[in-house]
Amino acid sequence: MLGIADYLWRLVPGNPILLRVVENAGKKRRDAIIRCGYLGLLVVVVLYTLVTGSGDPGNLADLSHTSTVLFQQMSYLQLGLVALLSPIFTAGAITQERDSQTYDILLSTPLTNGQIVLGSLLSREFFIIALLVSGIPVFAVTQIFGGVAIQSIVFSFLIAASTAMVTGAMAMAIATFKVGTRRTIFSFYLFIVVYLVGGYLLDRVDFFRLDWVDSTGNRVPTSTSWFTSLNPFLALRVIFKDRLYLPPNLADLPQSYQTWPLGWYWTNPASFYVCFMLFLSLAMMVPSVLFLRRLAQSTTSIKGWLLQKLRLSAGDRSRKPRPVWHNPIAWREARTKASAARATFLRYGFILLGIIGAVVLLAMHSTELTPKQSINHSYDPAKNTLYVEGSGQPEIPVAPGVEVKLADAPATLDDLYGRYEVANFTQDANQAIATINLKEYPRELDPEQARSWLLGLTIVEFSVILLIISNAAASTVTREKEDGTLDLLLSTPITSRYYIWGKLRGLVAFVLPLLAVPVASSLLFIVHDLVRWLAARDSNFQWIVFPEAMLTMPAMLIIVCAFAAILGMQMSLRCRTTVRAVMSSVGIIVGACAALGWCGYQVLQSSTPPELAAAIGAFSPFTLLTILIDPYQFAGNGFNPNAGTSYDPAGVRVAAFLVCAVAIAVYAMGIWSMYKSMVKNFDMTIRRQSR
Amino acid sequence: MAAVIKTVNLTKRYGTLVALSNLNLEINEGDCFGFIGPNGAGKTTTIKILATLLQPTWGEARVCDYVVGYQSRSIRPLIGYVPDYFGAYEDMVVQEYLEFFAAAYNINGAQRTKIVNDVLELTDLGFKRDAAVDGLSRGMKQRLSIARVLVHDPKVLLLDEPAGNLDPRARIEMRELLKELRRMGKTILISSHILPELADLCNTVGIIEQGELLYSGPVADIVRRARAGTVVHVGVLRAPEQAAALLAQHPDVESAAPNNGYIEVALKTGVQDYSFIPSQLVAAGFQINLLREEEVNLETAFMRLTKGMVQ
Repeated sequence: MLGIADYLWRLVPGNPILLRVVENAGKKRRDAIIRCGYLGLLVVVVLYTLVTGSGDPGNLADLSHTSTVLFQQMSYLQLGLVALLSPIFTAGAITQERDSQTYDILLSTPLTNGQIVLGSLLSREFFIIALLVSGIPVFAVTQIFGGVAIQSIVFSFLIAASTAMVTGAMAMAIATFKVGTRRTIFSFYLFIVVYLVGGYLLDRVDFFRLDWVDSTGNRVPTSTSWFTSLNPFLALRVIFKDRLYLPPNLADLPQSYQTWPLGWYWTNPASFYVCFMLFLSLAMMVPSVLFLRRLAQSTTSIKGWLLQKLRLSAGDRSRKPRPVWHNPIAWREARTKASAARATFLRYGFILLGIIGAVVLLAMHSTELTPKQSINHSYDPAKNTLYVEGSGQPEIPVAPGVEVKLADAPATLDDLYGRYEVANFTQDANQAIATINLKEYPRELDPEQARSWLLGLTIVEFSVILLIISNAAASTVTREKEDGTLDLLLSTPITSRYYIWGKLRGLVAFVLPLLAVPVASSLLFIVHDLVRWLAARDSNFQWIVFPEAMLTMPAMLIIVCAFAAILGMQMSLRCRTTVRAVMSSVGIIVGACAALGWCGYQVLQSSTPPELAAAIGAFSPFTLLTILIDPYQFAGNGFNPNAGTSYDPAGVRVAAFLVCAVAIAVYAMGIWSMYKSMVKNFDMTIRRQSR
Repeated sequence: MAAVIKTVNLTKRYGTLVALSNLNLEINEGDCFGFIGPNGAGKTTTIKILATLLQPTWGEARVCDYVVGYQSRSIRPLIGYVPDYFGAYEDMVVQEYLEFFAAAYNINGAQRTKIVNDVLELTDLGFKRDAAVDGLSRGMKQRLSIARVLVHDPKVLLLDEPAGNLDPRARIEMRELLKELRRMGKTILISSHILPELADLCNTVGIIEQGELLYSGPVADIVRRARAGTVVHVGVLRAPEQAAALLAQHPDVESAAPNNGYIEVALKTGVQDYSFIPSQLVAAGFQINLLREEEVNLETAFMRLTKGMVQ
């Protein structure tokens, strides 16, 4: 018994790896700043919500409502920060032990595999857990006003903690099984972002919801989806008891889904998420514990072994040389980084998936469905009759003052010449058509859905490209410092101007094929619409993507990527390590894009004149994409036919186009000034670091 | 002969640490200069300053009459710098690596291909042209480093520990390669801890300790200077103490004492002739079985001139 107790004591509380971290906790200035920043943000949210909270401060019900809103915002913020910070703190595990060469020393000590794995994992999680614990007093504020159940707060913390735990376990598994290199850190981070954002977006698709029968006997989809129990943000939304996002009752589920664990999965997503993630963490740790030393003894990585087995790699690492450009720095950035097997696979995978996605969207959009009732050039002006296919009636007379609507907007008699779905029509006493509501011919993906999906696809693609270029730029100088190649270059006649320009040019050239994906996706829709427009010549024709996007979109995306590249290079020059440069650079880019996007969206939705709103929004790349692809949903009154005088799509488009050109010039000036500053300070910065 | 490398009162401080203190160095064209000193003595700092990678805090360094810091751009095409580590680019093969640096020296087109082929041949790396750089052995990497600095045919080679961590065969091959470069008329500044090889390769050496140059000049001179007075080892069959006492009385002898079975006789400065030793001992009835002048080489000279102090 004493042996087991001793083993357990040494496993966690007395674990020397963990103790080292705990004893030094709080001594690092960086950790203190992050902790203060985190608590500061929580406090700001509390104050902002209390100040802007609606209702009477003396009314308990209103206070309770404010408290609920406060809890929701703090929970989202807490989870968001944990999701952001946890990969940063745990990803280092992938290579740090190997890089610092303490790994072999640890393995040669009497420490057990369990102690090493758990010690490494918990020491990395310690900071995140400490961060969560430090936020408890701030969360306690909600209990003063009421309205938030203790159980909800507990679940909010459990969801955040289990997310941190599974992230750490994944990083440890990658490190143990030797499937990671320095570059894996970024892929790991990207995977987590794509998983969280992708799950959240896919949750909105009806395809992933279950149908259940309501009290009236109608089949309705559940408000939660298959992703709810697997995504922390969706699981969190469930505990808010949002009426629009309630999990189904067990009895409402189809019979086959009522058994365990599916019943649990659907009816209690929060508890399922917490338990599943903890189980997943355990499942990833057990092989690490069992095979740690055995895997450390192997000379090839699992990836290398697999590639050799699949005959994708001969293992001798030789190939035909490629021609080097006149500017070797640009060549290095653009070609050699892209030529590595993994990079090639990811690049072509990204391009292929993006194009396939766009083609599928276009195919679905152009596939027409057979409507219940339709008109197909069936208006006979001579007889003043209309044949409504599917109505079961022969040609129906049209009343003289017939009210025609197209997509709920007033239309003219001319529209009856067209080819539309008939949503409904009414007949007067003479059986003549008095009102008729027409809609575009139904498609497998209607225009609104096509725009939403295309916008989502474009935003995700551009976000990934921005992350890729930020990572590549941020690592470009630090990696040379770490590899020792920077000194070699600096002793050649290459000047700082040549070096930085070469890097910038190479980085932009590196992402150009990737940037072609969102542009080509939009181009597909523009060409498709152009053909339709030429055939229909309809003055009310609504584009899926405005044609001017072919000018503004590539220009804006390229200049923003160049901006991200020069910013990343700036961080890379200043920071001593790649990990720090990448994290700083990605953090700044994500923060700036989120802030710009949020401001742009708020401006578009506000009462600001639509032209001005579009002009301001055009400075943000994501807002510009919104205006170009899905303005009807997001660009406010300028594209709302019911908005009276504010409705001016042409004016908004012109304003957005012109200001976009200005924004590109502003970004270009920003890039130029940063470039000049880097050139000027390059030698001094490098020399200062070479001490 | 004109000085290709010249430093005048070269000083480099890192905060309070003085890495170089008033270093005065002169290396002539075609010289192979061995830079010797304990770890942390300031060798790498000196080489980095000459390679235009560091700015001196004080003093002046000139390469081919161009001043480091002010005319660095003119210096860079004239030098080839090999650091004490191998800067490897991932995902590059040997030929790409050389072409990359050739392009950095603005060598392009057919000329670049020809030069790279010539350099690969000179350094015996032709058979590795398609091999990944980061998969090469240490010896091959060092040879590739030398190949890299030859693509632009520099006048001056700055080599920081080029033979460090190499196995004996790779070291010998490296030495032969450097001899070949010296024959080609290159001025070489090489730092190394392998002193016998430096003695074989270099015509001049400099000894540096704690940032100060203790000696600079021809190898033969340093040996002579380290020697100060001749030391002779004498072996007698019996009573070495009495024999030592006898020799100590001779006016040309500084000291004589038994040491590990033989007598170590130190002659006074300037005394070269030690023929009196056997005649005196034989006359006193001693039987001699050993008479040998102590060998002074670069290693002994280094040990005598330095104190083994590091910063």
